[in-house]
Amino acid sequence: MVMYGGDEVSALVIDIGSSSVRAGYAGDDTPKAVIPSSFGFRRAAKEQEDVLMQGQENGDSASSNGSGQEPRKSAYREVFAGQSGPALWRSKMEVGNPLVDGLIADFEPIPHLIRHAVTSVLQCDPTEHPVLLTEPSWNTPANRERMAEIMFEEFQVPAFYIANTGVLNAFAAGKGSALVIDLGESTASVTPVVDGFVLRKGLAHSALPKLIHNHAKHMLTQKFGVELWPHQLIGSKSPVDPNTKPIYKLRDDRIPAVTQSWREWAENREVDEWVQSVAGTLDQGWNDQAAAARPPKQYEFPTGYNSFFGYERLTIGEQFFHHSPSLIAANPNLPQTIPALIMESLRACDPELRQVLVGNIVLTGGTSLFSGLADRLSNELARHFPHVKIHAPGNPIERRYGGWLGGSILASLGTFHQLWVSREEWQEHGKAIIGQRCK
Amino acid sequence: MSSGVTANQACLEAYQSLKLGKKYRYIIYNLSKDNKEIVVEQTAERSSGDAISQYEEFLTHLSEAECRWAVYDFEFEKEDGGKRSKIVFFSWSPDTAKIKQKMLFASSKSALKLGLVGVAVEIQGTDFSEISYESVLDKASKGA
Repeated sequence: MVMYGGDEVSALVIDIGSSSVRAGYAGDDTPKAVIPSSFGFRRAAKEQEDVLMQGQENGDSASSNGSGQEPRKSAYREVFAGQSGPALWRSKMEVGNPLVDGLIADFEPIPHLIRHAVTSVLQCDPTEHPVLLTEPSWNTPANRERMAEIMFEEFQVPAFYIANTGVLNAFAAGKGSALVIDLGESTASVTPVVDGFVLRKGLAHSALPKLIHNHAKHMLTQKFGVELWPHQLIGSKSPVDPNTKPIYKLRDDRIPAVTQSWREWAENREVDEWVQSVAGTLDQGWNDQAAAARPPKQYEFPTGYNSFFGYERLTIGEQFFHHSPSLIAANPNLPQTIPALIMESLRACDPELRQVLVGNIVLTGGTSLFSGLADRLSNELARHFPHVKIHAPGNPIERRYGGWLGGSILASLGTFHQLWVSREEWQEHGKAIIGQRCK
Repeated sequence: MSSGVTANQACLEAYQSLKLGKKYRYIIYNLSKDNKEIVVEQTAERSSGDAISQYEEFLTHLSEAECRWAVYDFEFEKEDGGKRSKIVFFSWSPDTAKIKQKMLFASSKSALKLGLVGVAVEIQGTDFSEISYESVLDKASKGA
């Protein structure tokens, strides 16, 4: 661990997002453990008792409730976390994700995910390290107290702190005041940060990335007729010419034991990979000629089907900025576009603050790496404001893990010692101390 | 959320000399080597020279690689000829500075700023265009 000035506190920093859980040592510049937030599980139902037990982790708190009268709570008989969690095919395995709209909605799998990241990947003992956790700006007090409880009671950490990702991202960009635009896997959010504090009334977020994803999926399956079989279910395939019917054989031994949730998870992953490697956006707004002038990109799916994607790949990015009138008419509850979120956020802020905020925009989150997005955003905003400046780190790691990185630096500081909530304080004051200390 | 860094007593004393004693034109603050407290790095006494060239001289002490804070006693004339003076606080955090330093400065600012009563204008600068004389004049003359 790189340290300076004898500041060694060897804290851990954990950042739980919709797509991944990032964990690592404070002071490092990248999280050493990045595992998917989605996890595989088998239900604790009677009819599955005959399924072979494999890779069962000890300390599985979800093993009770064998009668299975409640399908959701305590329903996980086995949990498979990590890189070989959902991605490793298992008979009758289902896939869950504890986050909804960027917030933890199901706390039961959380200890499994943290334990996997900290104990299995980092190979360290959480009882020896203070833990700094991140939270989104719209997190609820109940949620943060629950997380403190999990860390102190289940993991027996010596000290704890929970920090806001919006503020961490602003600080990591060197800004006390900033408009933080965080584009995650499931949620797009705009957080005004003023002098190191979140301006709550200016918070705006929507499930825009989900819409982009669904649009891409719909286009691939409906327009191109792509079958989104994942590689785990494909036995063999032969090379074919572009746009011709793929020649492949499915693994018939596995098909009967595939669950609906795993299938959906795997299909979504195929869509995401296509989006990441092929989709893009035009930097000046939609224009048929400009779209036609951009080179098509070839992409091959696991079935062997391959095609060149031309202007269609650019229509995907358009959804971040503009919804067509027909789409709006058909869906009154459409998630807001990025410009709409920014406008909503700024409207709630004092007029004299608005210029400071648009002059200090911090773009972060994995989805912000979408091809051409930063340039397009800059052009869109320049139409409305005289002085726009977007801080978007060119280093994808800094962009993807901005919140983690800010937490890593903060938790590595010797002077930060005094701010940790210690185990003794937790025992003496209980939950109330979290809200008092972590502002 | 803050870093826990504190401001050295000398930071406030220098500020009082600038504000009340009218002794200094500007003060530049930095973090101590061990990153534990905020210290005065440099002060410059007032001189009767041309306002713009004094300001330009101040800018030469800020670099593109390092974060700093600064306080500047900014004097200007209004269009009707009335003289005004405003204390400007700078958070200088250039884009090219190291991320660790940016984080440290951003999370420690409140420890310094809270003690500096009477600052009229605050400027967050990431490049020289944002702290140019014209840009500061524009901000300072609003509502003067």
